[in-house]
Amino acid sequence: MKRVHSQEKEQFKTLFKQENIDAFEDRFKILDVFLQTERHLTISELIQLLDESGYTFTPDFVRDTLKLMCRFGFASKNRFYNGEVRYEHRHLGQHHDHMICTKCKHIYEFEDEQIENMQVQIAATYNFHMLQHKMEIYGICSKCLKDHIQLMPLIHAKQGERLEIKEFTGGASARMRLLSMGLRVGDKIDIITNLNKGQMVVAVGYNRYVLGRGLAQKILVETVRS
Amino acid sequence: MIQKRLSIALAGNPNSGKTTIFNNITGTRQKVGNWPGVTVEKKEGNINKSGYDLKIIDLPGTYSLTPFSIEEIVARNFILDERPDVVIDIIDASNLERSLYLATQLREIDCKVLFALNMADVARTRGIKIDDKKLSELLAVPVVFTIGNKNKGINTLLKQAIELAESDYVIPEKRKVKYSKDIEDSISKIEHFIGNHAADSIPYNIRWTAIKLLEDDKIVKERVLEKTGKIGEDILREIHNQRNFLVDRFDDDPEIIMTDERYGFIAGIIMEVLTTSTKQRVDISRNVDLVLTNRFIGFPIFIFFIWAMFQLTFSLGAYPMDWISSGINLFSTLLAHVLPDNIFKDFLINGVIAGVGSVMIFLPNILILFFCIALFEDTGYMSRAAFLMDKIMHLIGLHGKSFIPMLMGFGCNVPAIMASRTLESEKDRTLTILITPFMSCSARLPVYIILAGAFFGAKAGTVIFGIYLLGIILSIITGRLFRSTLLRGDDAPFVMELPPYRIPMIKSLLIHMWDRSKLFLKKMGGYILAGSVVVWTLTAFPHNISYSKNYDLEIEQVKTYFQTEIEAAQESDKALLAQKLDVAVAELLTEKKAEKAEKSFMGRIGKVVAPIFSPIGIDWRGSVALLTGFVAKEIVVSTMGILYAADERENSEALKNALLSSGMTPIAALAMMVFVLLYMPCIATLAAIRRETASLKWMIFSISYSTLLAWGMAFLVYQGGTMIGV
Repeated sequence: MKRVHSQEKEQFKTLFKQENIDAFEDRFKILDVFLQTERHLTISELIQLLDESGYTFTPDFVRDTLKLMCRFGFASKNRFYNGEVRYEHRHLGQHHDHMICTKCKHIYEFEDEQIENMQVQIAATYNFHMLQHKMEIYGICSKCLKDHIQLMPLIHAKQGERLEIKEFTGGASARMRLLSMGLRVGDKIDIITNLNKGQMVVAVGYNRYVLGRGLAQKILVETVRS
Repeated sequence: MIQKRLSIALAGNPNSGKTTIFNNITGTRQKVGNWPGVTVEKKEGNINKSGYDLKIIDLPGTYSLTPFSIEEIVARNFILDERPDVVIDIIDASNLERSLYLATQLREIDCKVLFALNMADVARTRGIKIDDKKLSELLAVPVVFTIGNKNKGINTLLKQAIELAESDYVIPEKRKVKYSKDIEDSISKIEHFIGNHAADSIPYNIRWTAIKLLEDDKIVKERVLEKTGKIGEDILREIHNQRNFLVDRFDDDPEIIMTDERYGFIAGIIMEVLTTSTKQRVDISRNVDLVLTNRFIGFPIFIFFIWAMFQLTFSLGAYPMDWISSGINLFSTLLAHVLPDNIFKDFLINGVIAGVGSVMIFLPNILILFFCIALFEDTGYMSRAAFLMDKIMHLIGLHGKSFIPMLMGFGCNVPAIMASRTLESEKDRTLTILITPFMSCSARLPVYIILAGAFFGAKAGTVIFGIYLLGIILSIITGRLFRSTLLRGDDAPFVMELPPYRIPMIKSLLIHMWDRSKLFLKKMGGYILAGSVVVWTLTAFPHNISYSKNYDLEIEQVKTYFQTEIEAAQESDKALLAQKLDVAVAELLTEKKAEKAEKSFMGRIGKVVAPIFSPIGIDWRGSVALLTGFVAKEIVVSTMGILYAADERENSEALKNALLSSGMTPIAALAMMVFVLLYMPCIATLAAIRRETASLKWMIFSISYSTLLAWGMAFLVYQGGTMIGV
């Protein structure tokens, strides 16, 4: 990797000098920091990284530099599923695809020669001149999948069970409501009554709550092993 | 010397013992009203304490100052806009962590806060020890231990409050919640933005405003827009950017992150001040709940309680009812003897006393019923009842919570409709308000008793029960109908706390009972008095009626005829003849009165509306009685008394006989009962509907719907019954 990065730095120098781009030294610092990470960064994240390395630039300047880097092929811009713009640096001559976990938002990179070749072939069959391609697979990563199986909505809990709240789904206001009434992630709850119809009664410590079924559906719990 | 006035607001979580402390401080010197513009109960009380005139305001119980419900908005607005001198935050010591959530929010507003660590005894039995000095130090707040139900610590609390109000205490910045760097950055950016552009037009603490804006608080947003005008748009844009930045950073809504961080801050405090001994006590409330909310036996127990409540109301209430009734009779007889015969006497005895008396009779029932309801509420059983009824209420498309107002409706619809304000969803409230009048209130009961008693004899009880049941069934059908048409509602997320069971304090039971009864008496008393006067006037005038025959002359003739007979008769027959004379005279007098009633204004009105009521088997007299029942349902009975020319005083036996001989059939009586059950709510209830829905439209809708339904149902009963020949 190190070798690739220094090669890129050299190219950057030549290209930007040729184009007479201003503030070369500053932009070079940005590139340096950018190349040191293998993550997909948003602009604000990059600014923070720069901050940590002791450089302070205005967001506009950083954004401008990133744009330049995209133009010259040092970086590429990705808009993943939640609409955020993230940048990753491109290893020249190298290419990889992405798998994005919709749950933990983690991005996995992979390379597959077969897919690459197939894409070239497909384009060729259609007599299509391929300039660039992008491949993104969305789904749940293996880690989240493993976690998720053990979680169940509170609504399916049996009377007398002891459970731990793991997650709230649903809108912010419903979640806030539960939080302010003292139901929080990590709380151990006991099921006092659940008739499999209508509301249910749960106890958290010395407090008891009646929950509507809709809301109970949005609380994910895990069995507490005693 | 003019005493200095201080205002002290009581804030705290629901069930933190706030109301108990309020009752202890103010006793009976309470004023119950509404918060301006909304229908949340506002309680105030004035007391004198160490040379100060203290105004205590009981804020609605809330979990936070984030405006989810009207209560929370009201509580927050009061602190922000009215700026009480001191806010006492009543903290449930046995539930410190959650209570501190509200406390930290109060801390963020610029106000002088004092903590009352209430229910310290409960906390102690649970093995919880709180270091009050440390808590006071950590948050820079005076802390007082109190035990509300034993009236301990209240004096110290008030003294401290006065002291705090008089001090020029400034909240040290560092004692507030500190959020993580990114959030603090956003907060200070917004603070600067506001400070630079609109510092003067923001009415609140700028940091607090910034925090609330960042939390996307709708009300603060509106307020800021309103106050700052054009710049407001820029501020909101800045907020939008900051929120986006934070969402991007934390991958969650800022308000959730901030709530988490507040709890983090609280966890730090808890660690410092709270020590829990390991002894695990048996939670009695939880065990009780295992029984009372049990899927098999919970419901039968609930039914038993309800049955017991009605039993108590009507059987125990019957005794004082009799005393009051005879008291009123005695009083009016006395007046009849003392006053000279004139129109004023008639007005006083037949108008005012008869009308108002008919309400006073029900005072014992009302008191007992409200006492039972207060008992349900103060022990904590009411919320369990709401839970148990949830399945049934879902038939109507409402939560179990709506059951509470409906239950109260059996007592009186007016407080019942007011009780619907505890419901959060606007649509749920409206729907509950619309169906509550079908719960047969105690005012309708006398009508059933008279009619069923006269026409169904031994089966009267069953018939009356059937009428109550019909009301419930129709409320369910109506609820379903409206839910799927007019008030189609989204199922709002529902969460309600079940308070721990508590032994009620007799003082607060009595205060609650009296609060509601007072309301009932005031409202009903006013309307009924006015209504009785109108009814009396309409029946007493015109004064000079041209009778179809000369009654006075005929009475004279009868008298002279019997006089001569008696003189001629033997000694043994004289008594018998005298009796015959009395009967004949009474008959003529009754006939005269009946004709007078028929020719009065009331009679004329009755004749006009009679065609509307004839298809449901009610004659003109019944029609008039029903019309006057609009004022208050009890008046139906007294109007029938006047029109069916029964005895002067409300003697129910006489009225029953008069009804039986009037040509009314049992099926017509049944139709009339159904009509009384369903038709338009009384004037006090309508006023309550108007107020609580804040709309004339719903009131008019309620009138038309219920009256049409009543007519339709009565028509079915009467025509159907006549057809099958009952």
